Amino acid sequence: MTAPLLSIRTLTASYGAVPAVTGVSLDIQPGEIVTVIGANGAGKSTLLNAAMGALPAGGAVWFDGADVSALGVEARVRRGLCLVPEKRELFATMSVRDNLELGGWCVDAARRRSGLEDVFQRFPRLSERQAQMAGTLSGGERQMLAMGRALMARPRVLMLDEPSLGLAPRIVGEVFAIIAELRKSGVSILLVEQNARAALRSADHAHVMELGAFTMSGPAADLARDKRVAEIYLGLGG
Amino acid sequence: MDSTILLFLLQDGVTNGAVYALLGFALVLVFTVTRVIFIPQGEFVAFGGLTYAALRAGKIPSTVPLLMILAGVALLAGLWARRRTWSNAAAAKDVALTLAMPVLVWLITRALGSASRPAAVDVLLTIAIVAPMGPYLYRFAFEPLAEASVLTLFIAAVAVHLGMTAMGLAFFGAEGLRAPPLIDGGITVGPLLVTGQSIAVYVTVLVLIIALWLLFGYTLPGKALRATAINRAGANLVGISTAMAGRVAYGLAAIIGAISGILIVPTTTLYYDSGFLVGMKGFVAAIVGGLASYPLTGLAAIAIGTAEAFSAFHASAYKEVIVFALVMPVLLLRSLGAGQSHDEEE
Ligand SMILES: Nc1ncnc2c1ncn2[C@@H]1O[C@H](COP(=O)(O)OP(=O)(O)OP(=O)(O)O)[C@@H](O)[C@H]1O
Ligand SMILES: [Mg+2]
Repeated sequence: MTAPLLSIRTLTASYGAVPAVTGVSLDIQPGEIVTVIGANGAGKSTLLNAAMGALPAGGAVWFDGADVSALGVEARVRRGLCLVPEKRELFATMSVRDNLELGGWCVDAARRRSGLEDVFQRFPRLSERQAQMAGTLSGGERQMLAMGRALMARPRVLMLDEPSLGLAPRIVGEVFAIIAELRKSGVSILLVEQNARAALRSADHAHVMELGAFTMSGPAADLARDKRVAEIYLGLGG
Repeated sequence: MDSTILLFLLQDGVTNGAVYALLGFALVLVFTVTRVIFIPQGEFVAFGGLTYAALRAGKIPSTVPLLMILAGVALLAGLWARRRTWSNAAAAKDVALTLAMPVLVWLITRALGSASRPAAVDVLLTIAIVAPMGPYLYRFAFEPLAEASVLTLFIAAVAVHLGMTAMGLAFFGAEGLRAPPLIDGGITVGPLLVTGQSIAVYVTVLVLIIALWLLFGYTLPGKALRATAINRAGANLVGISTAMAGRVAYGLAAIIGAISGILIVPTTTLYYDSGFLVGMKGFVAAIVGGLASYPLTGLAAIAIGTAEAFSAFHASAYKEVIVFALVMPVLLLRSLGAGQSHDEEE
């Protein structure tokens, strides 16, 4: 087994005195898709934000063999760890193209240019809407822009917080197809999803999160067959 | 009042308003990028004007040692922030980068001494002396408070303003300074004499506005500043350092302040504390622009400058009172209409 690309060690995070993540550990190998599923308020978004350095956190985060716990968000982006947050955080009053170019803020001009081509190829819709303000895009287009912007930074690990949130079923299919393609191009993915069925189908490894901690972990296929998971998260109760 | 006086007052008003517009832009920039209502903007104006006047008179301006002190404080704040992730190499780089500018301007002003030189040299040197003050102030006063509320940041800004004014008194004394016009003479247009000085003001303001427009509209670093203003969390996630954006915004604000001071000091004697009232007018313009809109701020500034020129003519003792009183209804209207426009703060 190779060394994990991203390794989160007993991570804790809280809002004031209220703990939201209580000692979570997880590893992502190069080229792997790992998913975290769980009910609303379980702490999934908090976990991703803390791993990104956007929230103060206890424990440690290792990236590519180095301890990045003391680094800020920007420094982690530079190393190749990117997050598409639940709120997307687009630059609403800037054009689609400006949003994407700023996504490539950390890479040199040549890589920014080739990155833009690559994103436009993956998301032809964004190419058509280059000049449109990001704030006026439809929900699905905003999600594509958020992913495209993150890809512009050439991430090695991409963390996606509910990429299918609020999207029509057909577009959800598209998003998961893109996730599968990304993995093929060598990007590791940490996926947080409400749509547990699709997430478990595309992931290699899965964790179930409840009240700030992992209660089940294992190969995604095994969890998909698990009775308890099926009852609670796949809606197959009997 | 005949038409000559009317034209003269209009010219005067637009010239003043142009400078207020610059200051208003600086305030909008600083507020949108760092959420600080930057009261000390006026100090950059006073220090810029005083520095330029001293240089023109062949003296070493007191801002040179002042810059050294600010650099020292900023350096200490920077080193303190590094205490948890200390590395000698990074600390050494901090020392070199922070102290390079003050040492450089000190060497240059000493070498120039009282030798006569073109005004442009003094303009550039003034900018080089005042510009770094912006990032230094940000480093020690505002960067450590990056997560604080707008009110806390405002209080810090008032404190910095008071501190800077006190430093101004300590370094420049109570004496005022004035510089010769940037361009002598003038041209006559119909009944109106347009002075070389006002032409210098118009050209400078126009060039600066175009430069800012190109910077924010067409360059990636400019867009990164805008992005930070629009969505701080989003900017962080693409790797734009909020701290760096803050330093750049403060640097630009200081440059704009210094240039404003250079534009003003040939027309009125500036004192260590003159910046405040000048800055206030830029501030009022920025407020009328909702601390967000550059065009509105510019228009408001021109209106304020014109109102000031006319009130100075009719009742000069009350000129400031009239200007600020005229602004009240505008502020009232804004605050009444403000309900729907608070979407930035989350
Ligand atoms: N900014 C905040 N301040 C205080 N509490 C917060 C904040 N953000 C989240 N929480 C709380 O932390 C807990 C975990 O929230 P989190 O957003 O991580 O959940 P989640 O698993 O992502 O949920 P969802 O599936 O609904 O997105 C929740 O109880 C939530 O109310
Ligand atoms: Mg969430």
